Amino acid sequence: MTYLDNAATSLQKPAAVGKAALYAVNHLASPGRGGYEAAMAAAETVLRCREEAADLFSVPDPEHVVFTCNATHALNIAVKSLVRPGDRVVISGYEHNAVLRPLHAVGNVKILVAASEPFEPESTFHAFESRITNDTAAVICNHMSNVFGYILPVERIAALCRERGVPFVLDASQSAGALDVNMSALKAAFIAMPGHKGLYGPQGTGILLCGDSPVKTFMEGGTGSMSAKAEMPDFLPDRLEAGTHNLPGIAGLLEGIQFVKRRGTDRILCHEKELVGRAAEALESLPGLRVYKAPHLFCQGGVLSFRFYDRDCETVGSELSDRGIAVRAGLHCAPLAHRSAGTAECGTVRMSVSAFSTKRDIDELIKAAEDLLKKKINK
Amino acid sequence: MIKYLIVCRSLTCAQRAARILERAGISVQLFRSPRVLSEEGCSYSIRLSEDRLSDALMRLKRAGLSPVRIYVMSDDGSYREVPQ
Repeated sequence: MTYLDNAATSLQKPAAVGKAALYAVNHLASPGRGGYEAAMAAAETVLRCREEAADLFSVPDPEHVVFTCNATHALNIAVKSLVRPGDRVVISGYEHNAVLRPLHAVGNVKILVAASEPFEPESTFHAFESRITNDTAAVICNHMSNVFGYILPVERIAALCRERGVPFVLDASQSAGALDVNMSALKAAFIAMPGHKGLYGPQGTGILLCGDSPVKTFMEGGTGSMSAKAEMPDFLPDRLEAGTHNLPGIAGLLEGIQFVKRRGTDRILCHEKELVGRAAEALESLPGLRVYKAPHLFCQGGVLSFRFYDRDCETVGSELSDRGIAVRAGLHCAPLAHRSAGTAECGTVRMSVSAFSTKRDIDELIKAAEDLLKKKINK
Repeated sequence: MIKYLIVCRSLTCAQRAARILERAGISVQLFRSPRVLSEEGCSYSIRLSEDRLSDALMRLKRAGLSPVRIYVMSDDGSYREVPQ
């Protein structure tokens, strides 16, 4: 199989990730639930993962690194900590349902979409600038679109939020591990990310980086601390980490983060851009295809969308799958992004790469796309 | 040797405190707080010798890790709270 669906989950991981997860299953107990060796070894693994994440994302205090099940879980905590019914919230035109649905669930939230075409950072920034006011409860912005790979100008948007005193939430689902995600520089209220994409951890892992905003508990239960009290502890990370941790996941995530740090996000991004550039150039040369790419890839990461003008995107996805190519087609759980780009009716086919993708993977995709076009002509 | 016990608010806090002190060459043991000392329920503590206490407290303060309470351990195994 040629795997090009890394925006959903990175399938090829460093070998140490699986080994660490398996070791955790067999040797690590619950952190915070005992003083014996297996519990303390588990606690050590969890703390090391917090510290490595804090270092990678420039979080001053590792206790503000909270483990979640995934980025959706992290975004739910962020949204429900900051937004109340009747509030006004500004979001980008590239938000995933992981942002839209929690906002909808809060109820009676006035959602202002800072809409812009993809790969138009100036226009995106001005859309935010004209919508953020002093009474905005929160600004939520995707760092990189999961559909188009569009890298939004989040540093400028975060600076605008600081200037206007509005909490800023960053969805780093596609950027963590490939772009510079810097909590100290952005001074965000929250940054949410999955562990299983660009950080190469196992599925079922996520991270919420917390700033100084008050946090609302998302679920309550045992934390191994302050257990005589009925209320959840008021300090992080315990306030947001009720119940037993996903130790195999966190042990694997620790190895994934260490891999990213060793390789370097700059190098990973450069590799991914090179592959996306190769794919875009080849796909653009084929007749009957529209490719969504930034000029010179200046604001695009390791995700590329395309579509055949006269063929359903799901059919193309399925036919590529028949040829051993794993891509994702449809709306990618991000109907808003498709509305922003004018592809809501047709959807797109999305290929997405990782540090482990190769030129050969791209060439296999191109060969399969050419094959599909020939098949069409022969029909 | 007289031993002191620093009760921390959470396991993460106790681990970080232990790490900071060990890096500074201060030998500590991290363990679950005796039930009699953890008024609020489960917690973790670090144990260290008297001669390193003031240095340890200064380093923890610098790192923003304030102890919940500090106790001195008596020879008979009882504890007496030390005002901070």
